[in-house]
Amino acid sequence: MLQIEGLTVAYGGIEAVRGVSLDVAEGELVTIVGNNGAGKTTTLMAISGVAPIRSGRIVIDGAETTRLAPHAIVARGVAHCPEGRLVFGRLTVHENLRLGAYQRRDGAGVRQDIDRIYALFPRLLERRTQLAGTLSGGEQQMLAIGRALMSRPRLLMLDEPSLGLAPLIVQRIFSVIRQLHAEGVTILLVEQNAHLALTVADRAYVLETGEVRLAGRAKELIDNPEVRKAYLSQ
Amino acid sequence: MFTPTYVVQQIINGVNLGSMYALIAIGLTIVYGLLRLINFAHGDLMMLGAYLGLLLLSATFTPLLLTLLIPMLVIGFVGVLVERVAYRPLRGAPEVTMLITSLAVSSIIENTMVMSVTAQPRAFTLPPGVNQLHTVAGVSFSTLDMLTVGLSVTLMIALTLYIRTSRTGIAMRAAAENLRAARLMGIDINHVVMVAFFLGSALAAVAGWLWAAKYSTVEPFMGFLPGLKAFVAAVIGGIGVIPGAMLGGYLLGFAEIFFVGFLPPAFSGYRDAFVFALLLIILLIRPNGILGVSTDERA
Ligand SMILES: Nc1ncnc2c1ncn2[C@@H]1O[C@H](COP(=O)(O)OP(=O)(O)O)[C@@H](O)[C@H]1O
Ligand SMILES: [Mg+2]
Repeated sequence: MLQIEGLTVAYGGIEAVRGVSLDVAEGELVTIVGNNGAGKTTTLMAISGVAPIRSGRIVIDGAETTRLAPHAIVARGVAHCPEGRLVFGRLTVHENLRLGAYQRRDGAGVRQDIDRIYALFPRLLERRTQLAGTLSGGEQQMLAIGRALMSRPRLLMLDEPSLGLAPLIVQRIFSVIRQLHAEGVTILLVEQNAHLALTVADRAYVLETGEVRLAGRAKELIDNPEVRKAYLSQ
Repeated sequence: MFTPTYVVQQIINGVNLGSMYALIAIGLTIVYGLLRLINFAHGDLMMLGAYLGLLLLSATFTPLLLTLLIPMLVIGFVGVLVERVAYRPLRGAPEVTMLITSLAVSSIIENTMVMSVTAQPRAFTLPPGVNQLHTVAGVSFSTLDMLTVGLSVTLMIALTLYIRTSRTGIAMRAAAENLRAARLMGIDINHVVMVAFFLGSALAAVAGWLWAAKYSTVEPFMGFLPGLKAFVAAVIGGIGVIPGAMLGGYLLGFAEIFFVGFLPPAFSGYRDAFVFALLLIILLIRPNGILGVSTDERA
């Protein structure tokens, strides 16, 4: 589904991601964990076509997308739920969801999917005409995930969906992630909360200062002493 | 001292002037919202709209409405062209670079007009009847005044509906709020920017026609002052916010008319100074304009 080979991304002279290779197979839930500043967000932004790629190749469904414009990458079935949620605060909840389906032309299907999102997150239905800027952090995260789902993605990328949220809401969001995975959605999940991410994921990559430090099955990485020491200590 | 009729008359004049400022301010504010570009060439598109209107009016048999509609379409496309040629290559450049470029575009358009039609002002002659005065209960207004207000309000309602409900309209508001997030949604920014330039330029063309009709004259530099004041209007209302541009336009129109209408004639000459003083005062109280939102929450 997704293959990345030797990806290097540089902001000015600073290489935020260096020679990263990773792949995600159809239906898999793969997670990228790593400390703040490791290059996780930059990797996702590069996949979406909004980060300055210096070298490397990104292939989606067998076709190279490395230099494509972001809207062309969305057209390939990639949805990106960005770090910090980035919901449109001056748009209503409903308008945010409609925007998630921006490239879709099947009006009836879109309306159906909006109802599905409301069923998934009933809080959003209650607030459908409210400006997204007035929602709580947890509600905004639900909206951001719902908005990403509205494109009916083949690959869903989630960047730190648990960031700054109360444990109860984190649980709710992760149960939705599990549910989506069970439904067969391919997911690339970025998390600082490594324990949580490794529990839901099939496979994982550990990123350290822009490079892949470790990779493997999530179950094995949870027990890896190095990982335990660096990321699961508490 | 001021009779009710006089007051009503001033209100009518204020709505009239405000409608034109609002029409011009909309284009400035949409483009600024998307690109952080202060488009100094906007007033010149207004001027081009007036000239094209005049050309069509002199071709006797063109129906009045078409002399408005055709400039809207043509100038809309001219705006799109200007964006393609002059502004798109600068996407992501510092704001100052874009600003200087728009000054250059403005100067190129004005000088091209001077070379081709001379700087000599020309009479903007309307078909008989359009300037006809109507007097109701001592208040007088012309058919042109009715056209100005009626058309402006209609266009602004249409634009508001489009921005509020259409797919592109929602995308435009999203892109103005956070360009990067909008791109992640699959919005083609170039398309949204193109639509923005088309709409803004078309409205400027209408304003140019109405402005020329009101003052019965066109000249290549006629867009400068209205353009500048419309920018003030957009800033007063909250730059980047479309209802703000409309509100700012009307506020400015009223302020100008009332300043001249209700203060001793000795003050009239300071009308433009007053406009800018008003801007400073409003910005002191509300730094982001009346309906504005705090700047740069965008990524
Ligand atoms: N827009 C940017 N401009 C310059 N440097 C950036 C930018 N975004 C991220 N960086 C830098 O790139 C590195 C990786 O950041 P990021 O991808 O956000 O890491 P993570 O998501 O793992 O916390 C950091 O050192 C960060 O400071
Ligand atoms: Mg990050």
